[in-house]
Amino acid sequence: MYKQIVITGFGGQGVVLAGKIVGQAAAIVDKLESTLVQSYGPESRGGACSAQVTIADGPIYFPYIKNPDILVCMSQSGYDKQHHTLKDDGTLVIEQDLVKPVGDRDYYAVPCTRYAEEIGHKMMANIIMVGFMAGITGAISLDAARSTVEKSVPKGTEEKNLKAFERGWEHAQATLKGRRHKAAGKPGVVA
Amino acid sequence: MQEEFKIILFLCNWGPHVAYQTLQDQRAEIPLEIQMVRIPCSGRITKALLFKPFEMGADGVILMGCTPGSCRYGTGTEAARQNTADTRKILNLTGLGENRLELATFLPDKSEALLNFITSFVARIRKMGKSPVTPRPMLQAQDITEDNSEAIVARHDVFACQDCGKCTSACPLALAGKPYSPRFVATEIIAGRANTPEVLSMVNACLTCGTCYERCPSAVNFPEFIKDMRGYYHGRELTGTPAHGGFFQSMMRAMTSEKLVPQPWQNLPESIRTGRQGPVLFYGGCAAYFDIFFGRFLKVRTRRIIEDSLRLLNFFDVEPAVLENERCCGHDLLWSGDRENFLRLARLNADAIAASRAEELITACPECAHTLGTEYAKHGVELPVKITHIHEFLEREIDKGAVAFKPMGLSMAFQDSCRQSRFNGQAALPRKLLQHLCNDESHLVKSDAASPCCGNCAWTGCDAFSKAMQVQRLEGIGQSGSQVLITACPKCQIHLQCAMDDVVRGNDLKTEMMDLTSAIAKSIYWE
Repeated sequence: MYKQIVITGFGGQGVVLAGKIVGQAAAIVDKLESTLVQSYGPESRGGACSAQVTIADGPIYFPYIKNPDILVCMSQSGYDKQHHTLKDDGTLVIEQDLVKPVGDRDYYAVPCTRYAEEIGHKMMANIIMVGFMAGITGAISLDAARSTVEKSVPKGTEEKNLKAFERGWEHAQATLKGRRHKAAGKPGVVA
Repeated sequence: MQEEFKIILFLCNWGPHVAYQTLQDQRAEIPLEIQMVRIPCSGRITKALLFKPFEMGADGVILMGCTPGSCRYGTGTEAARQNTADTRKILNLTGLGENRLELATFLPDKSEALLNFITSFVARIRKMGKSPVTPRPMLQAQDITEDNSEAIVARHDVFACQDCGKCTSACPLALAGKPYSPRFVATEIIAGRANTPEVLSMVNACLTCGTCYERCPSAVNFPEFIKDMRGYYHGRELTGTPAHGGFFQSMMRAMTSEKLVPQPWQNLPESIRTGRQGPVLFYGGCAAYFDIFFGRFLKVRTRRIIEDSLRLLNFFDVEPAVLENERCCGHDLLWSGDRENFLRLARLNADAIAASRAEELITACPECAHTLGTEYAKHGVELPVKITHIHEFLEREIDKGAVAFKPMGLSMAFQDSCRQSRFNGQAALPRKLLQHLCNDESHLVKSDAASPCCGNCAWTGCDAFSKAMQVQRLEGIGQSGSQVLITACPKCQIHLQCAMDDVVRGNDLKTEMMDLTSAIAKSIYWE
């Protein structure tokens, strides 16, 4: 198993923290190997920023990612810069309200910023995205992701962050459920 | 020892009675099981009267009328045929079996055929065995509960009434023009005049909709007070006559017999998936019975609400278990004062629900949701499950995302259910769901406050004023320009449909009605 994940977004959206959670969950809880390369510099002042996470069941010799298996885009500029790097059989995950994908490649979308606002904290969009990405791709296990979220967020906000994580996870489950139903030719209740 | 069987024979005064009398004159051997009740016309025996003997322990019932065409009143035999057919269907659902009831018609000179019929019917009933219903003895004077009106007044702190009259000015019955006043009821009962016919009829007429409680500055819980007062009257056999001849109360009382095995899940469409056991239990309610009882005149299809709820559960990958022998929740018995039988039903239901080992019970009926969720616990019957109304379930699942709605494209009005909005405080929930069905705001007739009552509750106290109220409500809906009326309770559909079918008004009041659950089932799809 060798999975390369790139998470992109605006600086300040918590892209690097999301990457850190994914990597730590894989390494510490799921007992795999993982690396994280984070872009820093002018990006953290609001430009496009990215985190590159590699998860593998053996040693990782090179942490940089050229063509990811999973591309998570939380902003349009991040998507514009990166989408052509995604492998042909890779999985594209986007923030539904902030990214308008081009072409007819299949993608999974979650309105994580809107959900975060509903929970009451816009900054939790990244945690929702982690939940969604974990649910869709299965790159990290549910328990690993949950316990890592709990340990990685500021003290006192665990409960809210876990709720945010669940929200993303459940949206993923609903999305997959919907795809199953559509594939079975039953998109509605009556039909 | 041979068991004693009881078979009631409703015998029409005209044709068949002559034949029966011939048998008596000939000293023919009429089976001893037959208890004959002479009636003016077989068409006058309503579904309620056909069912009543079963509640009281009869093993079989024969309705005997004149041969078609020989009815003295023209339509008697036809009415009897329809009533018998409907009641037989209901007997099937309740688990008594349709073969315990039969309609037969005879000409005056067919005494031999009549005797043959009776003998073979008795043989059939003997073969079927005793009725599974255990009749409840009538209340005796010494059984009367300790509850008295002073204690009830004190329990609900009705003394706090400030005599301000806000309740009367908001009461939908008073607004419909009925000389009716909750305040008057309160002051009379406080003054110890609970047993006057005036107060009695007012207590029975109350809709228990809860509007007065909402308005009361002293927060006197009037519906709860009325509920206890009805129990008080019931204990003293002072209760008023229920609507529809007391058919539904009769049926519910019959269901308190443990040996009775209702079969409410017959004829469920095959596309619906239900399981035998699982974490989610679906509780249907009485819609199937309503459709048979009201089908002929009102053409209501309230069973569709249950079916659409099950389809929605399936849509979200939930295959709920159902109670094979589900009984009524007892709401109407409780609210018409029959606590004793309510408790019997509650205990039977609690056992069945516990045996299902489910963790969550979902129901589409707001009365079931309120009764199972609140009243059972209040009466000391604990349920080991979480009670969820289908709207809560839908809200929870829709919130998870990935679903979308085809807009209805019609302007909608909403009829609240009293039990959901005012009793369970969930008026906002159906409104939130309704929002999904509107592509723009203008399609929903806006109102944050719960709409007035549909006109009746627990099959009691229906009169011209209830009708006037329903007509007012429908006129209002018509004037608001709504094209469809969304409801949340099967009974609202029945009552408003009845008002719509007013012959004097022709098509004036006709509006399309649809349950919220069905509307969602129609429009939801996976994105």
